[in-house]
Amino acid sequence: MNPTLSELEARAARKKAAFGGDAHIVCDNLVRIYKTEGVEVVALQGLDLVIDEGELVAIVGASGSGKSTLLNVLSGLDVPTAGVARVAGMDLLSMTPRDRLRYRRSVVGFLWQQTARNLLPYLTARENVELPMRLAGAASRKGRAMELLELLGVDSCANRKATEMSGGEQQRVAIAVALANSPQLVLADEPTGELDSETSELVFQALRTANRELRVTVVVVTHDPLVSEQVDRTVGIRDGRTSSETLRREDAEGRIIAEEYAVLDRVGRLQLPRDFMNALRMERRVRLELESDHIGVWPTREESSDEQ
Amino acid sequence: MPLPVREHVGTLAVLAALTAVACLLVSGLPRAMQASFDQALRRALTTAPAVQADLTVAAEPYAPTEDLHERAAFEARGRHWREALPAALQPLVTTTGHMSAKTVRTPLTGTGGATYVNLGWLSDADRRVNWVQGRAPGPPSTTRHEGANIPLIEVGVVDEAVHQMDLRIGQTRTLGESDYVAVKIVGVFKAKDPRDRYWTHNPDVLHVTKQLTRDGTIELHTTTLMSDAGLAALSSASRHLTYRWVLPVDARAANALDVPHLSAAVEDLRRLVSVQVVSTTPHRLDTGLPKLLGDFSAALATAETVMYLVLGGLLAVAIGVIVLGVRLLTDRMDHTLGLARARGGSLRQVAGAGAALTGLAVAPAALAGYAVSFLVPGPVLLVVHVGPAVVVVAAVGFAVARVSLAHRTPLRERRDDVVAARPSVRRITLEVLVVALALAGAYLLRARGLTRDPFLLFVPVALTLAASLITLRCYPYPLRLLVRLAGQGRAAVPFLGLTRAARARSASGLPVLILLPALGVSVFAAVISDGIATTQRLASWQQVGAPIKVTSLGIIYPSLVEQVRALDGVEEVVVAQTGRVQLGYVAEYAQAVAVDVAQWRRLVAGAPIDLPELSGGTSALVSPELRGRGTFEIGWQSRMRLTTQGVIDSVPGFHTDGKFILMPLSALPRPEVNTLLIKGDASPAELARLVPLATVDTQERALAAIREDPLTGTVRSTLIVVTVALGAYALVAVILSLVVGAADRARAVSFLRTLGLSDRQARRLTVLEVLPMVLVTSLAGLALGLGLPPALGPGVDLSAYAGDLPVGDYSPDLLTPAALAAGLTVVAALGAYAHTAIARRRSLGAELRVGDSS
Repeated sequence: MNPTLSELEARAARKKAAFGGDAHIVCDNLVRIYKTEGVEVVALQGLDLVIDEGELVAIVGASGSGKSTLLNVLSGLDVPTAGVARVAGMDLLSMTPRDRLRYRRSVVGFLWQQTARNLLPYLTARENVELPMRLAGAASRKGRAMELLELLGVDSCANRKATEMSGGEQQRVAIAVALANSPQLVLADEPTGELDSETSELVFQALRTANRELRVTVVVVTHDPLVSEQVDRTVGIRDGRTSSETLRREDAEGRIIAEEYAVLDRVGRLQLPRDFMNALRMERRVRLELESDHIGVWPTREESSDEQ
Repeated sequence: MPLPVREHVGTLAVLAALTAVACLLVSGLPRAMQASFDQALRRALTTAPAVQADLTVAAEPYAPTEDLHERAAFEARGRHWREALPAALQPLVTTTGHMSAKTVRTPLTGTGGATYVNLGWLSDADRRVNWVQGRAPGPPSTTRHEGANIPLIEVGVVDEAVHQMDLRIGQTRTLGESDYVAVKIVGVFKAKDPRDRYWTHNPDVLHVTKQLTRDGTIELHTTTLMSDAGLAALSSASRHLTYRWVLPVDARAANALDVPHLSAAVEDLRRLVSVQVVSTTPHRLDTGLPKLLGDFSAALATAETVMYLVLGGLLAVAIGVIVLGVRLLTDRMDHTLGLARARGGSLRQVAGAGAALTGLAVAPAALAGYAVSFLVPGPVLLVVHVGPAVVVVAAVGFAVARVSLAHRTPLRERRDDVVAARPSVRRITLEVLVVALALAGAYLLRARGLTRDPFLLFVPVALTLAASLITLRCYPYPLRLLVRLAGQGRAAVPFLGLTRAARARSASGLPVLILLPALGVSVFAAVISDGIATTQRLASWQQVGAPIKVTSLGIIYPSLVEQVRALDGVEEVVVAQTGRVQLGYVAEYAQAVAVDVAQWRRLVAGAPIDLPELSGGTSALVSPELRGRGTFEIGWQSRMRLTTQGVIDSVPGFHTDGKFILMPLSALPRPEVNTLLIKGDASPAELARLVPLATVDTQERALAAIREDPLTGTVRSTLIVVTVALGAYALVAVILSLVVGAADRARAVSFLRTLGLSDRQARRLTVLEVLPMVLVTSLAGLALGLGLPPALGPGVDLSAYAGDLPVGDYSPDLLTPAALAAGLTVVAALGAYAHTAIARRRSLGAELRVGDSS
């Protein structure tokens, strides 16, 4: 029986459950296109991402996959072209410049890959940490700055300038700077890109400390797949879309198990890992079969066409 | 946010130095200029004869009842005039001053009108003269003459009159031809200071005056001095008696800014004097002050125009260079401000930080420059306060604007390196508008002159801006052509260097906007200065007509001419006769100069004046007013017919306007030479001694007189100061633009060095990158500077500085402007070379890392 007009109206008025619900970070079909003098570069092509509050997530991808663009969008430094980007309930597409400023001041903190770029070279570590608080006009800066430096284990550097600190110390001070205004979210763009593995470990330690102690959501962008060992969840990006996720959990015996998942988008699309496809020589189309507890994916074979 | 003062101390110091110098120039130069204007006015007033500069109230009593017979009566009226002085004149008129009563043309009885002994009284005679013989005159008495009682006045005579007029102490002489008065000469006086300007009021008292009458006899005049008591016997009955109250003007109290008020006040006083109520005798104000002030104002107006033109250019260039300095500072703060902006700094905070740091450098420096400018003597004008304020506002405003634009969005995605920026339609429209306005303004300026409309003062600025915009817009095109040519060659350096020059960011236009006006205005100043100098020389020749000209009131006989020829230093003498001739048989007269033109032409060969040839015994050259008469008759000694051979605008050394004729001396049947044109360096004093009743003019003296004028001096010295200052600013602009682009260039060079670029190639690359801009700008600036004077020439009247000849010949000396442009180019190239050589010391890694973080 066809629905009546009133039923259709009621159906239209009924709100659908929003994608991602009330997650901390929600990106839905996010698109970012750069246009310079007629040349268009599509950096994000319909990216979906959901991150819950208090998560420590890494976003990995090859150079040019769009991960830095995503980070710039999330940090409020860049505005997406289309889609939905919501952080802590704030819509990043419809923010006024004033909202955006407030967002950068109190909701998000971030650090860049280049250690020198995060800190002003002529200020001491403590002054650098105080800078965002000064910009936001906060009182009782000194105590807060020292607390953060202590928390991250760099209180000894408080009165040293950037040039007098090691790279690892600089990055940890930079984390303190990012945390200065008690943000809900810290974004890090290749924070260990210029560091050796030992120092990297220290920096991740600091990020984890911030995540656990201060309940801050941390999103790290990197091209280093090994970072997945340091975080709870790793999201892989390929060609401006999320392609895979790796979850890291401890099993009953305390061993760490990392399991890789493919991402299923809202319309049911799925990216198969390239090596899987190569191994089975899957090309152009595959055959799917619904079983009771899984879906089977089969490469198309010559005989299958004969069967038809 | 904390200000990185220590971090940018070098840039801040440069900025502070630039600001201090700019403020000093902008505040100091107008003061110095105004001071010299004042000085020029004072000089104009003090060098003019006192009789012209001072205010003299004069009256000729028309009836004996109007006579003043007591000193007190003179003084009372003198006080009245002082009280009547308008407020603007009060401070200018000194309390000293004198009164006089003098007769004119009072004949010595029985001399048949050949000797005149005037009666005179000076209120301050006792202070002005010494009695060298006899005694000072006493009170009058009476004597008998032809059976009647006539007054006998005791007088003193000037020592000159004793010798020349045969007047001696003890003589009693009768004056008058019908109504007699007797004078007894009791003393001989001499001026205490004959050179005192005071005596220009009473030259008749100081010297015996000789006058040549129409029939060739010489009249002698002297004015005697009497005592105060003598006034009682001085009557206007049958004497031409004049009373004068002299109110001396104190030039030291005059200042150029008050000139318009002064002229008005003099006119007020003139009206007041003519309608005075103290006496029924009409009084009048005799003074040359309005004319002196008028002449001065005319010269001043032009001086001010030229000065403010070049000062405006200087201010614009100074601000441009300061803006370039601010740009360097904001560029260097980019990282700090970008980070602060990303970390939650609002646009206002970030722009405020930029402004504060700029202000920190600029404000104290401006204050210092402003303070130092008070050491420059001169009155304080409005521009003295406004100039530094404009500099500070411009610097801080630019800092705010630039930082705001750069950090409007926190993250900048600029890819200037990939694509050439295409200018927006809006910008092109604006530029076309500026060019059109400048051209329209130039047309108006030529048509209407500069002084009538202050808005037209902006025309040169607009023209400069238009030239800059056109240069900016057009110079990449020929460069790209060169790049294409260089691309086909094998050498990499020309291709790379020119490519970088052609692809330079649009911001590299700032140095062009500074360099071009700097060169343009300095070349303009140099050309104007040259033009004035040349015209001054021409004017001196026009005034005298020969190296030395001797003009006599009488006839110079051939024997005397031979004596002159024999004098030391005389190389050549050309004789001439001048006179007033009757045209035809009507009451129309013209000035005639009869001379052997061919000889005269030889005499002045090489001088800037040009004489046309005159052929034929009775042909003549006539003034434009006499053109078209063909063959005409004149009466000069005898009647003769002359044929017009051509028209001349002036006869150098003789006539420049009115009706005049230049004819051959041989046309006169009996030449009576009264003028000698002499080549050589004979002493003028010697010539004056040799030729009686003669005035001697030399071209060198005339030139010195034209040049000596303080206004002329100020104009020329200011033009020189501005030329030098602008040249210096142009250099600073080149150096600053090199430093501004240093980081980017160093990165590119470092990168290229990793690809195998040698040090030498790197230096050549930098020079090639900078040179096209400097070269093109130099040429455009040179063209602009050379083009401005002819373009604006008709609008700017500089004749006051060039002996009243219009300054029109701006072509001459290309050396100074070309040297300026070439010097700039060479220094820019050397600077670029040195800059790369210094940058080489840095390590490659440091440069490349610096590049990564941008």
